[in-house]
Amino acid sequence: MELDWEFMEETLPKVWAGAGVTMELTLLSLLLALPIGFYLAVIRLHGCKTLQGIVRSYVSFVRGTPIVLQILLLYSLLPSVLNVLVQAMGWQINIFEAVDPFWYAVVVFTINTVALLAEVFRSALNSIPRGQMEAGLAIGLSSLQVYLRVIIPQAMVVAMPSICNITVNLVKGTSLAFLMTVKDIMAIGKIAASFGYNYLEAYIDVFFVYLVLCTIIQIFYHLVEGRIGAFRGKRA
Amino acid sequence: MLMSIRGVSKSFNGAEILKNVNMDIDQGDVVVILGPSGSGKTTFLRCLNFLEQADGGTMEFHGEKLQLASASKQAIADIRKKTAFVFQNYNLFANKTALENVTLGLTAGRGISKREAREIGLEALQKVGMLERAEYYPSQLSGGQQQRVGIARAIAVKPDVILFDEPTSALDPELVGEVLQVMKSLAQEEGITMIVVTHEMKFAQDVATHVVFMADGVVVEEGSAEDIFSHPKEARTRQFLQRILPEQFEMAALI
Ligand SMILES: Nc1ncnc2c1ncn2[C@@H]1O[C@H](COP(=O)(O)OP(=O)(O)OP(=O)(O)O)[C@@H](O)[C@H]1O
Ligand SMILES: [Mg+2]
Repeated sequence: MELDWEFMEETLPKVWAGAGVTMELTLLSLLLALPIGFYLAVIRLHGCKTLQGIVRSYVSFVRGTPIVLQILLLYSLLPSVLNVLVQAMGWQINIFEAVDPFWYAVVVFTINTVALLAEVFRSALNSIPRGQMEAGLAIGLSSLQVYLRVIIPQAMVVAMPSICNITVNLVKGTSLAFLMTVKDIMAIGKIAASFGYNYLEAYIDVFFVYLVLCTIIQIFYHLVEGRIGAFRGKRA
Repeated sequence: MLMSIRGVSKSFNGAEILKNVNMDIDQGDVVVILGPSGSGKTTFLRCLNFLEQADGGTMEFHGEKLQLASASKQAIADIRKKTAFVFQNYNLFANKTALENVTLGLTAGRGISKREAREIGLEALQKVGMLERAEYYPSQLSGGQQQRVGIARAIAVKPDVILFDEPTSALDPELVGEVLQVMKSLAQEEGITMIVVTHEMKFAQDVATHVVFMADGVVVEEGSAEDIFSHPKEARTRQFLQRILPEQFEMAALI
């Protein structure tokens, strides 16, 4: 079997162009999910019992169902729900045309990432020894001050490897956005592939682009972790 | 009288850990608290700066009296600003350098400017012999060095009283001396008021103005170091000292 190198060379830039959409989807979901996930983690640790229960159920719902299912569910549900709302408001908008599926993808991946981050932040905050808070209170800081200056900076370092994992998984996970007709790396690769039946070549291109993206992300996180975690001293 | 503590009680899960503990502290006093493990020494200290909430008891501090069980947030914040705590396991802020550990209570806690805080911080580090390590993180310091930074953090805020909870018991034996030396000079040269839970008898004998022996949540006996070590009245005190200071105790018994 021969690889069609020419086709691969031609397709690579097109697939690479999809990296923009993939990264937009990833970053947007991540940036939306970070504050919400953090907030849910704080609720899990300090909120009232009812709220804690709600957050716990939310997390186990998201973690306990396949993301493909969540995508299909939301993609069939969300537009119709929005449509009902818009109709109720009496607006003359056709939701099915007006909203780029990209935004549905953002919603799905944000919902998913929030749940993952809530767990990560919860365990990271929990991992900081109680003595840190007590020492802060004892020198006259408020608990909020101790949180902001001592606990959270340390918890972030603890959370960094998991956030890196979540980000990489998110990049890979967004490949499912083609189910919602979003033109990301995967979607472009599939279209190119079916064009001349050069499936293998197209998928190798796709493979390569994901590999590069994920490697860059991991290097980035490694650098950030080294920087904000400098206080831990020399470690491998 | 700097601090007058009356009737402190505290239970955990129905077990009475502190039963009506009283203590008076004058300016410049070094009160050493001794007692077997589990007698409630740590709990008592923690009740004084509200790391633990006592079930009952009062504290008069600078002429202001407050209920330990129901002090307002504001009153608690005030007490914490006038006291400092040195922990058994140091509890330095892991993400802060030695100097930042010392200055945080000044800048964030008391609104002192960064520059002034830095000066006070360096001076405090100097007093504990840690000036050269000002920019080190706790992870880069030995236990003894960490504890000295812990002490610098406590003295930097110029508290009226410093509470020490077994400040040397987590240290390797060869590092104990450096920390005790620092505490001794703070007491004798700076006249800092301290309440110290420790089993370092030499320190108690040399530095304590007052020794309190606690067992099972009550003050069994108190007096000068001389009183307690050489002429203990209570059987429980004698038993305890016999275990801690066997040689000396036998000597004393012979005389
Ligand atoms: N947060 C807590 N919850 C439940 N029990 C506690 C708590 N803190 C302390 N205790 C109990 O209170 C008792 C007294 O503890 P405390 O730490 O005050 O003793 P201590 O005199 O400092 O002992 P040591 O010399 O071992 O440090 C112990 O039996 C301990 O198990
Ligand atoms: Mg103790």
